[in-house]
Amino acid sequence: MIKITDLEKYYATEEVRTIALNKLSFQVQEGEFVAVMGPSGCGKSTLLNILGLLDDPDGGSFIFNGIEVAGFNERKRADLRKHNIGFVFQSFNLIDELTVFENVELPLIYTGVKPAERKKRVDEVLEKMQIMHRRKHFPQQLSGGQQQRVAVARAVVNNPKLILADEPTGNLDSSNGNEVMDLLTELNEAGTTIIMVTHSEHDAKYSHRIIRMLDGQKVTENILSEYKSKTLEV
Amino acid sequence: MFKNYINIAFRNLLKHKGYSAINIFGLALGMAVTLMIGLWVADEVNFNSYFENKPRLAQVYQSQTFNGKTQTGPAIPRPLEFALRENFESKFKYLSMASWSKSRNFNYKETAISLDGYSVQPEFTQMINLKIIQGDAAALKSSNAIMLSQTAAKTMFGAGNAMGKIIKVNDVDHMIVSAIYEDIPEGNDFKDMEYLMPWSLYAKKDWIESSIDQWGNNSFQLFVELADGVDLASASAAITSVKKESDAEVAPFNPQLFLFPMREWHLHSNFEDGVQTGGRIENVWLFGIIGAFVLLLACINFMNLATARSEKRVIEVGIRKTIGSTKNQLIKQFLTESFLVVIMACILALAITLVFLKPFNTLADKAITFPWSNLVFWVVILLFIAFTALVSGSYPALYLSSFRPIKVLKGTFKVGKLATLPRKILVVTQFSVSAALIIGTLIVMSQIDFSKNRPTGYTTENLIQIPVMSNQFLGKHDMMRNQFKKSGAVLEMATSSSPTTEVWSNQSGYGWEGKPEGFQEDLAYTQISYEYVETLKIKMAAGRGFSREFPTDSTAVILNESAVAYMGLQDPVGKYLTQGSNEGGMRKLQIIGVMKDMVVQSPYEPVKQAIYMFDGFNNASYWNLRLNPENSMRENLATVEKVFKEHFPNALFHYDFIDQEYAKKFAEEDRIASLAKVFTALAIVISCLGLFGLASFVAEQRTKEIGVRKVLGASVANLWMLLSKDFLVLVFIALLIAAPVSYYLMHNWVQKFTYHTEISIWIFIAAGAGALGITLFTVSFQALKAAFANPVKSLRTQ
Repeated sequence: MIKITDLEKYYATEEVRTIALNKLSFQVQEGEFVAVMGPSGCGKSTLLNILGLLDDPDGGSFIFNGIEVAGFNERKRADLRKHNIGFVFQSFNLIDELTVFENVELPLIYTGVKPAERKKRVDEVLEKMQIMHRRKHFPQQLSGGQQQRVAVARAVVNNPKLILADEPTGNLDSSNGNEVMDLLTELNEAGTTIIMVTHSEHDAKYSHRIIRMLDGQKVTENILSEYKSKTLEV
Repeated sequence: MFKNYINIAFRNLLKHKGYSAINIFGLALGMAVTLMIGLWVADEVNFNSYFENKPRLAQVYQSQTFNGKTQTGPAIPRPLEFALRENFESKFKYLSMASWSKSRNFNYKETAISLDGYSVQPEFTQMINLKIIQGDAAALKSSNAIMLSQTAAKTMFGAGNAMGKIIKVNDVDHMIVSAIYEDIPEGNDFKDMEYLMPWSLYAKKDWIESSIDQWGNNSFQLFVELADGVDLASASAAITSVKKESDAEVAPFNPQLFLFPMREWHLHSNFEDGVQTGGRIENVWLFGIIGAFVLLLACINFMNLATARSEKRVIEVGIRKTIGSTKNQLIKQFLTESFLVVIMACILALAITLVFLKPFNTLADKAITFPWSNLVFWVVILLFIAFTALVSGSYPALYLSSFRPIKVLKGTFKVGKLATLPRKILVVTQFSVSAALIIGTLIVMSQIDFSKNRPTGYTTENLIQIPVMSNQFLGKHDMMRNQFKKSGAVLEMATSSSPTTEVWSNQSGYGWEGKPEGFQEDLAYTQISYEYVETLKIKMAAGRGFSREFPTDSTAVILNESAVAYMGLQDPVGKYLTQGSNEGGMRKLQIIGVMKDMVVQSPYEPVKQAIYMFDGFNNASYWNLRLNPENSMRENLATVEKVFKEHFPNALFHYDFIDQEYAKKFAEEDRIASLAKVFTALAIVISCLGLFGLASFVAEQRTKEIGVRKVLGASVANLWMLLSKDFLVLVFIALLIAAPVSYYLMHNWVQKFTYHTEISIWIFIAAGAGALGITLFTVSFQALKAAFANPVKSLRTQ
């Protein structure tokens, strides 16, 4: 589903040029759950932004679903993004002025789904995330765990093929964190590809494969047993 | 999607109530000012729209050249009427001669009133589509018929029927009320036309009868309606030389006739040296520009507050973009918010306009009504909303929608120096406009003060004039002078053929020693009685006024200083002027005195050369009375009225205070100054509202910095300066821009007046100090609030 080859990204100020991604290459298959780990500043988030079509690489190739997307303009990227990718952030990033329902509804509005269909799909996903009773509340009226569930609901309401999660449990206590990880696992089991950036070894264990990065490069790749057995079964 | 936009816009407005209030109120104020100016401009532009034939109506004007100086005006000679009727029949549908507006005394039984109106030919009522309520539109065909306006009829006859009643006019003519017409509304010429009398009666006066072939006697008006299919330019061109070719005596003055169309009467009535040079249209432009600028100020507030708040909205922009919003969708969203704010501001602006329309009308001397039922008005309002929303909303929408989502969401987004630069430019623009308005208003005020303080050359206080409206006054001057003086209320009395504050007549045809060959003089001409100089307390430069002790004074003249200089006379007292020609009988007129110049016409222009002749033929139009300053004004007036009524029991006692008449010369400029003051004040309020909002955001943004500085030992004064300094610098830059621009514009404006003030450096210093003071005051509230805040608390908020 994703194939990146020799991906490069620089950040330049007047004096220094920082290399964020240094000829990074790897692939992700459809249905995989991949964790990306590494110390701060190793390029994880840059990678996630490029994978999420929020940013453009400075070099290399990025093939998404068989299409070369490196070099797409903002409009094309936005179009591809809204139909295929859902985001979950550490700081939830819900819009304070919109209710739970409206926050989740937003991606459907941008993809042009009709109001009746929107209502049906939002209700479904809220039900699934068990926050239906909070649908009319504003984000600041919810607990952190509930907010992240709303964020996940918003990420999946469009049935994206890929979910990108950036430290999804970073702002949560362990029980809420586990709930969110269970949620992501369920989504993965239902077929959604997930790439998650995390600092937590605990969370990483939910994935099939861990890519460890340092200075913009991949250093190791551990394939966890569960996934191996799963692929073997297939 | 749209619902979503509206939702979020409303919630944003409610969430930041203070900000929303400043934004909506500031915008509403700006829109209200623009709306009122818009209504005023519409009223000016639509002047005379009561007359359905407006596009086809015109007045005959003429330009004449005296000594190379061309003068243009509506006064035309009587034979012109016959020439036009005879030779240009095909050009005109109707023609009507008319007198000047005249106050006349009307008596019906016990009722005596004074009304203003004209003597016109019967066609006049059709030309102006006079709306007849009762009677016959063609009534003026009869020479003893009079037409009254509805209000005039009501004043004279109350609820009773006016038609057919016989009223006495100026104690001489008995007229039958033959038609009542609808009052001509405000915003039109002839709005004060309370009666119409037949031209045929007016033309029976001796001096008018004798003017029948006098091409040099320009004492009348002539109105025309073009025939169907005739265009104004061709008709105007056709009549240009009629006067010049008809009479050899007037030919040297090169009289050029032309048709001055009604659509230009109100706004384009100024002529300089024979060329049309504008008129009130300049005020229309002036206020139009002020209106546009005030709206711009309000729009700038909106832009500044919206972009200043951007850091609060970047997250939202980032999320929306991440989820899949395109830049266009975000632009639409932010524009929707602008529209919402502007619609609310517009509703408030309409309310403000409604409330303040009456005081505005008083200030502007208008009778503007709110055009509820006018569809065009509402279309304009919609366009106005769209325009304001686009102007104020475009920049914030483009600015906000251009944020890059990754920077925003990773928290690396910082509003850099480049982002605040446009905001600074907008603040500078705003204060440049405000400062220019302050400077402009101060200069207008100083020009008016300057002219008001100009020595008039006579004493206006305690001086009244009584118009001679009835023939029964004639020949009673000496008797009344004695009676008035005996009463103790009046110190002196004299008559004049023009009011003290106007010149009704100009003359040429004099000869004097050393007169250059071919010199065509043009002198203001007034006939006065004995004691005129004493009554008005005019200072004499040489010689004396007319005196009863010198019987030869009946053929004497008095000049003013300007006339002496104009005619190039040396030691004129005792010398002679001549009038007439050798063949027709030459009159010798001795110069017995030279008056110091007295301001009679425009207080902004040099005093015109004037000649005063002794009134030996009862041509008095006014009695001038110098009241006794030892009595109260009320006592004096009561005494004068009592004496007056003893001798003229049926006549109306009407008088004017000369100081008030003189003050009327400043009415137009005073009005402009008052309006400019109000608009400038509002412009400042609007700018300050924006500054206040901006200062609060800056203070909020720098809360952490202030806290840290305070912990490190900064005093309140240090912090106050820190926060205020940036704004003061911006306002200072604005002053540097405003000063030269306004100097240039206002320097040109004062040049319009020959008698004008010098633009003082103090005006700029005062405006600068004022602008900086207001800025400091506005910004200080927020600055001090932030500076006094507990640093522990401000550090925790971060």
